[in-house]
Amino acid sequence: MKSIFGLFLVLAILVIIPAVEYVFAAGDEPGGYLDRRVIIWNLFYRMMTVAFTVGAVVSGTIIWLCWRFRESHPKATPTPYEKEGVW
Amino acid sequence: MGHHSNWPEWIYVGVVIALMVWVGAEAWNAERLVEHIPADAEVIKVTGQQWFWTFEHEDGTKEIGELHVKSGKAYKFEITSKDVNHAFNIHDYVVLMDAVPGRVNTVWFAPMEVGEHDIQCREYCGLIHYNMRGKLIIEEDSS
Repeated sequence: MKSIFGLFLVLAILVIIPAVEYVFAAGDEPGGYLDRRVIIWNLFYRMMTVAFTVGAVVSGTIIWLCWRFRESHPKATPTPYEKEGVW
Repeated sequence: MGHHSNWPEWIYVGVVIALMVWVGAEAWNAERLVEHIPADAEVIKVTGQQWFWTFEHEDGTKEIGELHVKSGKAYKFEITSKDVNHAFNIHDYVVLMDAVPGRVNTVWFAPMEVGEHDIQCREYCGLIHYNMRGKLIIEEDSS
């Protein structure tokens, strides 16, 4: 349990606290001229890149799991339940 | 099963949380940039009603169905409705804001090129919703 708290502490320091600070640092001062098309479409394309990358990793992992742990795989080993034949 | 390692699961959970925080922060930052209105933005009052748009400039000039603006200037739209919910949309400039009776919503943009663009209602508002259109005309700034 200690190491899990450690992991989340590291994550919080690395990612969450800077992001929250960044957001709350935004004041009410007037903004500059900008092209909202660029900001919005740029965000869209970056989000799509993340979405497709995550999608590829997740579906790739599932495909690999199905391939590796099929019954006919040369290195397949029965689970303890299958070995004993008792459920 | 007791001595099975949980680390891969926790790393997976950590990666998912980190990704979600990053996505949230990026989106929040884009929203912050887009919502901060420049101090010198000219206010245009936009009123939606079945089934046309009315525009009122700061100097009192009114337009119906057409909106004339200058390139290189910032404009802040104060959007409301007289009857039912509408949504003010300039698709080419990614401007989209609800027009709600009794409420003023704001959105701003700064057109940079001369040209003509469509304005369209994006909230179903009745029989002629499909034709609740307008024209945005961006002109050269002569001043």
